Amino acid sequence: MIVDVNAYLGHFAFRRLRHNTAAALLALMDSKEIDKAVVSSAGAITYRNAQAGNEEVAEEVRGHGDRLIPFAVINPFYAGWQDDLKICHEQFGMAGLRLYPKWHNYQLSSPCCRELVDAATERGILISIPIRVEDNRQRSWLLNVPDVPLEEIVELVKTHPKARFILLNGIGYTGCPLGRKDNGLPANYAIELSRLSAVLANELGQLITNLGAERVMFGTGMPFNYPDPALVKLEVLDASQANKEQIRSKNAMTWLGL
Amino acid sequence: MTIPQTTSSPPAPQPRVSRRTLLKGSVAAAVAIGAAALPSARSAAVEQPASGTPSGPFRKGSVIDCHAHLSHRSRATWEADDRKLIEAADKLGIDQLCCSTLTPRWPATLDGFRECNQWTADGMRRFPGRVLGYCYVNPGYGREALEEIRRYVGDHRFIGIKLYNEYTCTEPVVFPIVELAIELGVPILHHASHSHYFVEDQPRMSDGGHLAELARRYPEAMLICAHISGGGDWEWTIKALRNVPSVLLDTSGSVTDEGTVDMAAAVVGVDRLVFGCDSSMTAGVGKIRGANLSAQDKQKILGENMMKLLRRRKP
Repeated sequence: MIVDVNAYLGHFAFRRLRHNTAAALLALMDSKEIDKAVVSSAGAITYRNAQAGNEEVAEEVRGHGDRLIPFAVINPFYAGWQDDLKICHEQFGMAGLRLYPKWHNYQLSSPCCRELVDAATERGILISIPIRVEDNRQRSWLLNVPDVPLEEIVELVKTHPKARFILLNGIGYTGCPLGRKDNGLPANYAIELSRLSAVLANELGQLITNLGAERVMFGTGMPFNYPDPALVKLEVLDASQANKEQIRSKNAMTWLGL
Repeated sequence: MTIPQTTSSPPAPQPRVSRRTLLKGSVAAAVAIGAAALPSARSAAVEQPASGTPSGPFRKGSVIDCHAHLSHRSRATWEADDRKLIEAADKLGIDQLCCSTLTPRWPATLDGFRECNQWTADGMRRFPGRVLGYCYVNPGYGREALEEIRRYVGDHRFIGIKLYNEYTCTEPVVFPIVELAIELGVPILHHASHSHYFVEDQPRMSDGGHLAELARRYPEAMLICAHISGGGDWEWTIKALRNVPSVLLDTSGSVTDEGTVDMAAAVVGVDRLVFGCDSSMTAGVGKIRGANLSAQDKQKILGENMMKLLRRRKP
């Protein structure tokens, strides 16, 4: 079984996405033998009112709950986010959040964001944070959104030891405390592999050594990304079958309570 | 600087990503869209397992990474890093890597690129049949740069020329290099990127538009636009190169945006795409595997197109 913790539905403001409806994404997943995927709204990344994107996703995944697991995009600086969180969790059955602090222009350390993290923790839902949406070198002339600095994530996981975070689309964890052994941080975060190297520098292998295979999860970033590079990483990774199985699905299933 | 000489043969490649696996995405896609399956004869050719050193320089069915680098030897780990590159190629089913060694700082000095080319030549000796060399020069060194190319393409059998960002490729100082490449019948792999902002640390960066302009000036030149998946706005780059048939597009780079290879194939045609990784190994392989193209088309990208280019070398 393969569970992808990093997938999306809907439109992105700066590039046409294919396979971005539930039906099309499921067809792509079938062709790649990916069983389940955690999905959130690509549109909500740039919508002012992110809840509109959550509503779109809730509508799209209806009838596909066995395979598509919706996460909510919440901007803690936007009016009514508490209501949105409640609706997303209780009505839409969304099992987690995706936060975009740089795209939505807030600090992870801000009181509003801390309040959101606490509220999510109280509800027992996961918080995923894409370190980037796309490569900054290809950005539109309209904006310049930096990656989320990993140092800010360090502070976040430290400040909220009871919360559970999944870090997406990141790289360079071994160059900061997040990816180091005995780093003194709570074990409340997992790292998704779509941008990690599995050969040459082999950051993926280093993370397994430093943090344990139970802290690494499979993800593709589809349909922003081709799913195949992430699948190839699993194929070439020097790790035991048991560790690969953890990464492929078990860790995500455990964290998602499936 | 003394160059360590080793004569060890490369290990027999045991790819974890076999040709069959590398190409299977296309077969699955073909089935999904109801297209005709891969003809069996062709299938046998592309699925032939790699074993040992290729019988000729460019074997049918080879997977050739058109954009690779050996480590600069100022890195303490250069030897292990080079070995890791070959090991990664083994795992991924890549038969040959077209490598340059780049200076760690730019613009490259004369001594700097000379040293790099010696190391590339040494890499070809250390990994015979696996590493093919590009001669890297800074065109600003004029006569010395041309002599360097003649030495390495001629005497050391390098397969082409690597140009970086010392000059925009439309500057006249680059023209003698292009003319020499035409004379020798070898390709130029040119660093390129197009961002919608000024890239301060690479003020003379070339982009697809510059390469198109150069190709119009020298239609007989074999130009490869480097890393469309690591060169900024790839949609811009592909469109800029639509109408210049002599420019090939290298698919390498760390960006794995869905649709990149598909759009490139649709806009410029598969015959103008060459597979590369530029050190982003799984990204490079995964993009080709993920593209919704036939196995035949993928094989063109993976090796045949580059092979065709390399066979145009003049005696």
